Amino acid sequence: MSTSLTSRRAFLGGSLLFVGGMALSACGKGDAVKAGAKVTLEQWYHAYGEAGTQQAVIRYAKEYTKANPDVAIKVNWIAGDYSAKLHSTLLTPQAPDLFEIGDFQYVDVKNGLLAPLDDIVKGQEAEYSKASLESATADGKLHGLKMMDDAMVLYYRKSVLEKAAVAPPQTFAELAAAAMKLTSREQKGLFVGSDGIGNAAYLLLWSNGGDLLDPEGRKVVFNSPEGVAAISGLKQLHDGKSLLLDFTTDWYDPGAFIQGAAAMQWCGLWAMPAIKKALGDDFGVLAWPKFGDSGRAVSRIGGWFAAVNAKGEHVEEAKKFVEWLWIKQAELQKDWCVSYGFHVPSRKSVAARTTEFTSGPAKDAADILANTGKAYPNLWNTAMDSAFAQAVLKIAKSGGDAKSLLDEAAAKAQAELDKQLA
Amino acid sequence: MADTVTARQATATRPAGVRPGRRGRRTDWKAVGAFTLLTAPMVVGLGLFKYTAIGWSFLLSFSEARGTVDLGSWVGFDNYAFLLEDEAFRSSMTGIVLFTIFIVPVTFGMSLGLAVLLHGVRRGRAFFRTGFLLPAAVSYVVAALVWKMSLFNGLPSGVANTIGGLFGWDVQSWIAGTDPPLYWIVIITLRLWLQVGLYMILFLAGLQAIPVHLYEAASLDGASRRAQFRHITLPMLRNTSVAILMLILIAAFQAFDEFYNVFMTTTGNATAPVRPPLVFLYDTALKGQDYGVGSAGAFMLTLLIVLVTLLQGRLVGFGRKD
Repeated sequence: MSTSLTSRRAFLGGSLLFVGGMALSACGKGDAVKAGAKVTLEQWYHAYGEAGTQQAVIRYAKEYTKANPDVAIKVNWIAGDYSAKLHSTLLTPQAPDLFEIGDFQYVDVKNGLLAPLDDIVKGQEAEYSKASLESATADGKLHGLKMMDDAMVLYYRKSVLEKAAVAPPQTFAELAAAAMKLTSREQKGLFVGSDGIGNAAYLLLWSNGGDLLDPEGRKVVFNSPEGVAAISGLKQLHDGKSLLLDFTTDWYDPGAFIQGAAAMQWCGLWAMPAIKKALGDDFGVLAWPKFGDSGRAVSRIGGWFAAVNAKGEHVEEAKKFVEWLWIKQAELQKDWCVSYGFHVPSRKSVAARTTEFTSGPAKDAADILANTGKAYPNLWNTAMDSAFAQAVLKIAKSGGDAKSLLDEAAAKAQAELDKQLA
Repeated sequence: MADTVTARQATATRPAGVRPGRRGRRTDWKAVGAFTLLTAPMVVGLGLFKYTAIGWSFLLSFSEARGTVDLGSWVGFDNYAFLLEDEAFRSSMTGIVLFTIFIVPVTFGMSLGLAVLLHGVRRGRAFFRTGFLLPAAVSYVVAALVWKMSLFNGLPSGVANTIGGLFGWDVQSWIAGTDPPLYWIVIITLRLWLQVGLYMILFLAGLQAIPVHLYEAASLDGASRRAQFRHITLPMLRNTSVAILMLILIAAFQAFDEFYNVFMTTTGNATAPVRPPLVFLYDTALKGQDYGVGSAGAFMLTLLIVLVTLLQGRLVGFGRKD
């Protein structure tokens, strides 16, 4: 009996120690908290893949505290599904004061999560691309400040195209023909994504003058005749067996292009340093070619926005920090964009001073972005994307009727849009 | 329950000198205190983090809750009606039923078959047992990525395509191709590899509990191996089988990880050719921030699982006394 008592006591003691330890270790999280600061702002970043980014943002935060000793910034680096984690945390009192947003969503504004930033951006609007301002503007106010622009463009392998006597494609017909001509047993012509869809349906739609929503953002219009015709083009690519499918990584990674599994790939500017390192000068970039003569070449503009929690305790302090870092500190913005990964500074004056973008494919990509960049409207949400994507899947791979499938998806997306606007 | 047992054991192991009657009648406050102390965290935790959450989610399923978990904008059964009309959700529900009808007997048969084979092995049983069980310890995510990136990638150098090449087959896209739907081969082999070992161990334990003398007597009476299997092994394994059947069934309805990871792209699961209910609900509630519709879907799935489990209990007699 005495042994069983001791072991029970030991178990209880052990449990208490464990719980205590957990409680203590939970207090020790976070970086760069400065003792003595009056206000501590909590800031969230998604986990950037590039080495040095985390150290960089902590350094920016420390520099701010050096200039403003009253405010300390605690940086949290969030791995995993950032958007889902951010949105669940924003519903709780543990919500961060500052955070970044990838795809801007209207519902966040509707729910009053984002503080308007118009007063700090005033007079600076011309510095930013129209597409970026539009996606962060809702209910007439700007709710996010672009930290950097990501260009998504079509990479092509110069030597492979030359060998096959194929010119860089300027229309969709040329793209489809080139993809066919460049396909062999070991190499496919084009890689748009492991699922054979990726961004291609959006690009096709835009490249034929179609769009997701009408300019007022009240009506879903991707089922327009232009949209139906262009999205059917994806089936043409699938039927030609010239698309690389089921590659080990998806389109965001340049692996397929570097390894020669595909002669052309849709990818981001972020991959350019790796491509340059592997292939030297043997590559070029293009916009997604226009679908027909009435269409226009397009590219996608991505990147992250800095946003402030409207329900936080320190909205004014947080806005001051955003203004300091993303408007006033040109050197830090440049450092952020080109010292670790490779992004176009979102402010035109900073981009103009960034020598990395003055020549070669990097300049081409920056020009393509400036001239043809499109972003998703902020009313475009997961449910609408899902309806659209399922229709595209059936059109491209199962040979479904494009018109009726897109009509059906548009009706579903319209219902979703109406609910958002209600 | 474990604590009740401990308390009872403590009473049972009381030294013989103490008269049990006197203490038996009085409430043992020490035991009650210990019981409360030990169970309270569990009960409070369950109540707070499970049942409150389930109740809240039930209320949410009757609300319009986008990007918020606040109650208040009641919409009645709108969320349920929306899902019932939604082609994507309906095909997700019918899909999971078909998947279950296929995967449950296959998993069951393979686990039982392997267990019987292993039970008959004289040498190296421990080796094979460990070998078959090992995949059960592998993370679904890791296994799904190995299947996707290494075994079934679409390159000529992928393992499946290399083997196919030996037979002169063309290079196949195993996951992105939908005609024919080769992705089922990827999903089903992955699931069997991960799950069969564990159920096999359970069957093996059941087999080892069957008294050997039954087989000896049957042999003396001239029963064939087949007759022994039908008339001794299967009936003696009934309780094990019923329990395992239920586990496989619930696991089938809860399919998530392998579907999610095999079909995952940069932007999520929107272009997946099949989305089981849990993937659908994850996309709706956590990606799309539509907690109202997500909760409604979760309760509809729960209802389906309960119905099927009850039906199965009826059919195979779970909990029926022998």
